[in-house]
Amino acid sequence: MCPPIVGGRLIAKRNFHASSNSPMSRIEYTGEDRRSFMRSVASQCLGVTFAGGLGSSLAMNQAAAAPTASGKAKHIIYLFMEGAMTHLDTFDPKQGVAEAGETKPIQTRVPGVMFGNLFPKLSYLAGAIACVRSLSTETGAHDKGQYLMRTAYKKINSIQHPSMGGWMLNDKGRLNRELPGNYVIGNTNRHPGAGFLEPSLSPVPIANPANGIQNIKLPAYLPDQLFQRRLELADKFDTAFQTRHRKNPKIEAYNQLYDEARTLMGSDQLKVFDIKEEDQKVRDAYGNNPLGQGCLLARRLVEKGARFVEVSYGGWDMHQDIYGRLPEKAKILDDALGILLKDLHRTGLLSETLVVLTTEFGRKPNINANVGRDHHPGVFSSLLAGAGIQGGQVYGESDAKGSYVKKDGVSVSDFNRTIAAAADLPLDSEQVAPNGRPFKIGGDGDPIAALLA
Amino acid sequence: MMTSALKPRFASSFRSVFGIRSAFRLRPFTRPGILGLASVMTTCLILTASPVLAQNAKKKPPPKQAPPKIRLPESVRTKPSKLMNVPPVDRKSRSGLELAASKLDDLIESKLAQKGQTPNRLASDEVFLRRVYLDVAGRIPTLAETTRFLDSTNPEKRVELIDRLLSSPDYVSNNYNFWADTLRLVNRPQPNIVAEPFMGYVKEAIRSNKPYDKWVYEMLTAEGKIWDNPATGYQLRDDGMPLPYIDNTVRVFLGTQIGCAQCHDHPFDQWSQYQFYELAAFTAGTRTRIKRGDPGFKKTNPANAMINEARKHYPQGRVPGAFQRMIRANSYKVSEVKANLKLPHDYAYGDAKPNSIVEPEVLWGEVPSKAKNAMPRTQFAAWVTSPENERFHNTIVNRMWKRFMGVGMVEPIDDFRDENINANEEAMAHLGEELIRSGYNLRDLTRIILYSRTYQRIATDYSLTSGEPYYFPGPTIRRMTAEQLWDSLLTMSIRNTMPFQRPTAQQMKPYLDVDFTKLTFASAKAQSEKFGETYFLGKYNREILKKHGYKSRVLCRASELPSPSKADSFLRQFGQSDRETINGSAEEATVPQILSMFNGPITHVMLEPGSVMVDTVLGIDDVRGRVEAVFLSVLTRKPTAKDRIAVAGEFNKVRNRNVAYGNIIWALLNTREFLFIQ
Repeated sequence: MCPPIVGGRLIAKRNFHASSNSPMSRIEYTGEDRRSFMRSVASQCLGVTFAGGLGSSLAMNQAAAAPTASGKAKHIIYLFMEGAMTHLDTFDPKQGVAEAGETKPIQTRVPGVMFGNLFPKLSYLAGAIACVRSLSTETGAHDKGQYLMRTAYKKINSIQHPSMGGWMLNDKGRLNRELPGNYVIGNTNRHPGAGFLEPSLSPVPIANPANGIQNIKLPAYLPDQLFQRRLELADKFDTAFQTRHRKNPKIEAYNQLYDEARTLMGSDQLKVFDIKEEDQKVRDAYGNNPLGQGCLLARRLVEKGARFVEVSYGGWDMHQDIYGRLPEKAKILDDALGILLKDLHRTGLLSETLVVLTTEFGRKPNINANVGRDHHPGVFSSLLAGAGIQGGQVYGESDAKGSYVKKDGVSVSDFNRTIAAAADLPLDSEQVAPNGRPFKIGGDGDPIAALLA
Repeated sequence: MMTSALKPRFASSFRSVFGIRSAFRLRPFTRPGILGLASVMTTCLILTASPVLAQNAKKKPPPKQAPPKIRLPESVRTKPSKLMNVPPVDRKSRSGLELAASKLDDLIESKLAQKGQTPNRLASDEVFLRRVYLDVAGRIPTLAETTRFLDSTNPEKRVELIDRLLSSPDYVSNNYNFWADTLRLVNRPQPNIVAEPFMGYVKEAIRSNKPYDKWVYEMLTAEGKIWDNPATGYQLRDDGMPLPYIDNTVRVFLGTQIGCAQCHDHPFDQWSQYQFYELAAFTAGTRTRIKRGDPGFKKTNPANAMINEARKHYPQGRVPGAFQRMIRANSYKVSEVKANLKLPHDYAYGDAKPNSIVEPEVLWGEVPSKAKNAMPRTQFAAWVTSPENERFHNTIVNRMWKRFMGVGMVEPIDDFRDENINANEEAMAHLGEELIRSGYNLRDLTRIILYSRTYQRIATDYSLTSGEPYYFPGPTIRRMTAEQLWDSLLTMSIRNTMPFQRPTAQQMKPYLDVDFTKLTFASAKAQSEKFGETYFLGKYNREILKKHGYKSRVLCRASELPSPSKADSFLRQFGQSDRETINGSAEEATVPQILSMFNGPITHVMLEPGSVMVDTVLGIDDVRGRVEAVFLSVLTRKPTAKDRIAVAGEFNKVRNRNVAYGNIIWALLNTREFLFIQ
């Protein structure tokens, strides 16, 4: 039953029909097949050293972290398309209506499931993907929509809610003690981070994946001993101020992160941040753009035990000239997510990594005077793939014009709870925020059972 | 760590640095063959004494002396005689404003009493000085400024300082950053919109202290090309997005969020989708492109025609970027035509039919009578900026209040509604009345707040997420903004923190403006080449600004740098906005920030020869005075007895005083006391 791992390559034997030219193609199986496949992969993979630089540290440090149920995600890679990705031109294409625009549906490798014609690679991999077409929200403002999507809570004044990475790290702990467990790659503003949870759980931002984390090494003239002494000196000078403001959470956050930064600098695994270590062919395959390189870095981080990596990628706010701008954007996404899924699968990591593709809302079916699409929270799409997820399916439906939810509506909270369930996070436990109010991971919705493996 | 045999050599290098000319003798202590290391060693105050280096020192004789290499760009090393003319605040209005401040204090204190709370004590001169510099000048004070203030016995010195700072170029720079964050100022809202003239216009409005109502009115009604009427840049920021334009405008100037109602009746507020469309109908006639009938536009768009023409002239039809940008920039021109707005085709409420025409209507109150017969944009602007429109002045009062106090009276500052309580309605109303009385003078509004006891009290540790309302026993503890931090680091490092300034409309116009009725390919080509050498963004960033660079960082105040900054720049690391969302800046801690403070180039600028810090330390003879100068320069306070003990400990460990001073400065920069405004 178990797919053996040979030379770091996962080879499917039963219940998993891989064609000879691609390990990822033709994934057609029943739900039961897949569940047992996932279980067996997970049991096989625990503690195994994979190819692609996955060090033994992962196995060594596993004991420290909370166990994850087999078949559930130990890692999440979360791709966020900032600006609101059009649903009609990506994963919910329409036919025979003006609202379809210039996009034509193409047949994926899952019978009856169509994606937009700009996504040939993801169409090919559709057997591994669960496509949700019935998300909706009530806000058409980017910042509010993004906050809602990342936290499952409406943005309010008196509280900052944690995003999923914070929740996950809080519950599961680090897999690798030397490196942070939560990251956000890309050019993003005002990320909710760890919200009201411990600041040390907040994502480490990596603005430009090609540059990794900057300033991580001491200047050449500064030996480590001297650095240590400088830190002690800083502590002495800061004592009076710190004593006066002991209860200030913002100052406390800096205290914690000074320790984090110090630990990180001492790590001997910093090469994980250097994607230049990858073969140029691999870098090219991911795409020489922030999303592609971000996905590549995300894969490296997950290999080294990162719990949650968000790759945030903007430029989807296409109010004008959507068909002039979309092909380039779509190709970048198709390439990056396509190779990421394949690569994770190749190294066996897909069986313990959940990959999410989402955005803050959809775009209007009506094409506007500037040949663009405006904001549309009424219905939109997202993708889930990998650990904990039942691939090869579409869940939910929009109406013929892509205006509203027609069937099996999924709230933002439902969606977040599904992610949490796929990662085996405790759905029922409540965490009390500083203002005394209790919060649940992903809000009060229900995980969608049909999406879960 | 250091052998006794080495002490004399360190001691001699110490003398050479402080005594005569150079730290160059330290070269032998460096590892042979590592040039980068050697140059860092010789030019930084932070010098090291590791065993490895010490061993090397034994083996090699000292080389010949040479003057220290100055690596700071020439442009930043001399204090400029004048940066810009800032009209001084009106001294005659001082007593009136002090009276208004006193009334403000009464209102704040009576509210506190009502809630059973007491105000904080007044802050010390040191704390006040640092705070007011950061809040008004956007940077920490220099050593000389600190000493002058602390030594002054003038009982009016706080008020004097406030007025002086509000009349300085520092104020213009700092205030610009605030508005850039609020108005989402970027050089290129879209690839072909050149927005620098608008950015220059915002800066100019601050410099000249343009009355706030007039300023906003100008932005909402401006017509023409951006270099002829730079206020049009406000409209062009949301070009092609007429509905978000209304949403953003109402949020920025009226503190009201109607964005949700764009798609459906607002779920948490009173606004209906119909009301949103009624308001948007005022701007339905706005046009942002040249159109038939404009100069040179007969049947075809002359910008397209010129670029098509150019394809024939350039090899392989490759028209240079500068040519295309320059021509396309001329296709943007704001104007107003008569037009109707229709409801969306899927309008789902019973009060009107889908696709029906919506007549313009304001959200509350009415269009002022003097504007009732004007074009709709003008009606809208008149309504927004009217003194009758309470939200207009309340919103700016609330924004300014938060800037100086750390928390708004209403939070979030741009979401006025019943659910969000106003911590002190009387105080807000009082400041609003004063603002109107002053003719919407924002500097005078600022003076009232800063003159108040409330502002000058000790700051409180308060966090909005506590869920408790804040009644202002004093300001709150805040982290420096990214810009304040950057500008403060520059202040400790260089004498001219503004070696260049952002260009103005007048400066740019000759490089951009074309007259399509006369334009030939040859004249367009010639002009575009000049544009390509100057304000074409690639060129501007790569070459023009590079002259002021240090280790690829451009040493100039944040207000003058292109926007948005690169995502991995120091400013963005510390939370400067990408200028895509309104007030998008953040103050959250992140690991890369700390790594920048530890190891980044910008914390090392001040340790370069010729820097303000190095020259200050070297210019003082006694150790005690030097230590005091370092503390005053970095933290705006003298060292305490405990600090002195820590310093003495450091001097005991490191005989080379240069190394010790470097360590002390580095350590002070890495305190929370440095990063937070008390």
